[in-house]
Amino acid sequence: MRRGGAFTGYLRSALVAVGVLAALIVDGPPAWAAVKVEPIAVNINQSPWFDGFRKLVELYEKDTGNAVKLNVNPYLGSLEASRNSVRANEGFAHLLVVDNNWVVEFYAGGFLTPLTDLDPRFALEDGVNTYDDTIFWDGQARTFNRKTGKLLGVPINGNVEVVFYREDLYKEKGLKVPDTWDELMANAKALHDPPRRYGIVHYDDRNFVASNFVAYNFSFGGGIFRSPETADFTVTINGPNTLRAFEFYRELGRAAGHPSVGSISQGQAIEALVTGKAAHIVAVIAAWGQVDDPNKSVVVDKVNAALIPKGPTGIRASRAGHWIGVIPRNVPEAKKRAALEFLRWFQQREIQVKYTDFGAVPVRWDVAQSDLAKQRKFRFLPALAENSKIAKMPFPLAEARQVTEILNLRLNEAITGAQSSKSALNTSASEIHEVLRNAGYKTGKLPDLK
Amino acid sequence: MQPGPAEDRFWRYATIAPALLVFLVFTVLPIANLVALSLHDVKWIEGRARWTPVGLRHYLALPADGTYLAGVRNTLVFAVTAVSSQMLLGFMLALFTSKAVRGRLFYRTVFIIPILIPGIVIGAIWKLMYNFDFGVINQALGAVGIPPQDWLGTQTWALPAVVVVDVWHWTPFCFLLLLAGLESLPQDIYESARVDGTSAWQELRCITLPLMVPTLLVTLLFRLIVAFKVFDEVFLLTSGGPGKATEVISFTIYRRFFTEGREGFGAAMSLVTIFAIALVTILVLATARRRDTHA
Repeated sequence: MRRGGAFTGYLRSALVAVGVLAALIVDGPPAWAAVKVEPIAVNINQSPWFDGFRKLVELYEKDTGNAVKLNVNPYLGSLEASRNSVRANEGFAHLLVVDNNWVVEFYAGGFLTPLTDLDPRFALEDGVNTYDDTIFWDGQARTFNRKTGKLLGVPINGNVEVVFYREDLYKEKGLKVPDTWDELMANAKALHDPPRRYGIVHYDDRNFVASNFVAYNFSFGGGIFRSPETADFTVTINGPNTLRAFEFYRELGRAAGHPSVGSISQGQAIEALVTGKAAHIVAVIAAWGQVDDPNKSVVVDKVNAALIPKGPTGIRASRAGHWIGVIPRNVPEAKKRAALEFLRWFQQREIQVKYTDFGAVPVRWDVAQSDLAKQRKFRFLPALAENSKIAKMPFPLAEARQVTEILNLRLNEAITGAQSSKSALNTSASEIHEVLRNAGYKTGKLPDLK
Repeated sequence: MQPGPAEDRFWRYATIAPALLVFLVFTVLPIANLVALSLHDVKWIEGRARWTPVGLRHYLALPADGTYLAGVRNTLVFAVTAVSSQMLLGFMLALFTSKAVRGRLFYRTVFIIPILIPGIVIGAIWKLMYNFDFGVINQALGAVGIPPQDWLGTQTWALPAVVVVDVWHWTPFCFLLLLAGLESLPQDIYESARVDGTSAWQELRCITLPLMVPTLLVTLLFRLIVAFKVFDEVFLLTSGGPGKATEVISFTIYRRFFTEGREGFGAAMSLVTIFAIALVTILVLATARRRDTHA
């Protein structure tokens, strides 16, 4: 009996083991399982959220025993480092963390490995934001498309624009969080008290104005191209809605903005907020790291983040400013698989909660439903989650940098009075149209604004 | 024993070969590559660079690039105003230091401090000084009742503000070279002139300036070359704005080449700029040679 019982026990255990093994062979390891893989090198930029990423990598190494080496460079240096790596015969970086503004250069240049080519079962988890589907690339249409494109990356940093506002002053003046741009204008005017404090500070210099204008442009029903997702790149930047948005943007700056027009950088706008000079800024959430840091801010615990207001057409749009992790094609297969394992681990909800706790910006909207969001320190999470869902990628093409340069120059010229708004938009449209026509896109342009 | 002609020729070539090799690898080859690049469009397809010949298209497109033209105009204004101010100030400081009876070492040390500071730090220092809200310049103006000025944000002030930074940064360079020149002038001429009763002004106009011309020309040449290549100050202070008010050639090249990834067009711009700088260098050197011949 005893022997028979022991034998049955062994048999049962063996059957269970075979069953588990079979399940693993058929389904592969579960997403959370630590898989031993080769060491990888990651190209990343030195930014306010980098420390959070570094801590998470340390956790990954501890949890899985897999080694990760970080190649850290300044913002533009990391672009050059990633370019050098993908253009070499064999890349020295196995995972590239690239800004959404550069990502199309890597997609369209054919430098990357689609993640589902590495593992057909790889998929984004439900809670992960796709930021206007910028992680899916359709090489034929040369644009982002979730349905027709391939999954080329996983978001690494969920940087999107939000409205930063002075919660303490709102309470003091009895203001409510703006739901529309007109309400934001009214609140900014109410808190405008120059030179002590400005109602709002735009970042509208030669490097940033095109980015800062995105939320206004899209929420007023404007745009840059007619329908990039269907490969229709007709230029619409000189449409009436964009003109209305731009006039509103300028009027907001004139009525309640900083007197230095056309020369404020993103860093200076954030500086204005943390030094108590700005009552509002519309900026990327990465700035939050400075807001509550007593070494950098005089407004600790006085600022909150809100959803971008809606425009006259009821549309809301936030500028996507996220970073994406992509795997180059010119690295050994084992390294690619190792990088994929890291991405698989990285996107899990509990890992993203820890990532947020480490000071980085999560890429999952459901982190806002975690216990972390109940803490005052993480009060920005609901606004981040909401704005992530309405994020717009304004330049969804390989020539993004050329288009951005044109818009930065022309909008900045209009803001500083070198030309009128209509003329700036018409000139932008003509120049962008020429770039696209030369690059072989299906394009056209609207008649000039009169 | 004298070396034979063959041995002599061998050593001549052997000693010049390393320098020639360095020149070939680090100067001729990059320029040849730039020339080739300027005649092509480069596109990356399937991870490989594809070069498409375009002939002179990039060169012919240069005059139509308004940003490049603004860069040329601003670079000329910048180079002329900054370098002439540096030469004048540097010469005055050098004269003052060479005539100083006491504290010469102190003046020399103080006057060269700006040149020892890295460009990135200079950018940060001046950006803070020019800051509209917190800058020391506007604070000082406020103390005497003058409203704050937007030094880096207006078409009127932005370029002069960048020139001021460059003058502050590079005047010590002119000062050092000109001081060395002044201290090497033959003193017996001055002694004879004093015996003849020349005034200080006559001494400067008729003796010092003519004798200093070679040093002045070399200093001018060095400074002009660097001024035509100005990048860091513009990059840090204004990024070429507002509008195109402080756009300079190097910055346009940087934008086209690196930011926009238009390597062929950027290469054409670079070559035209190299040619222009070479032309200025030749002109200054020819002037110096003509003067030497006449002397």
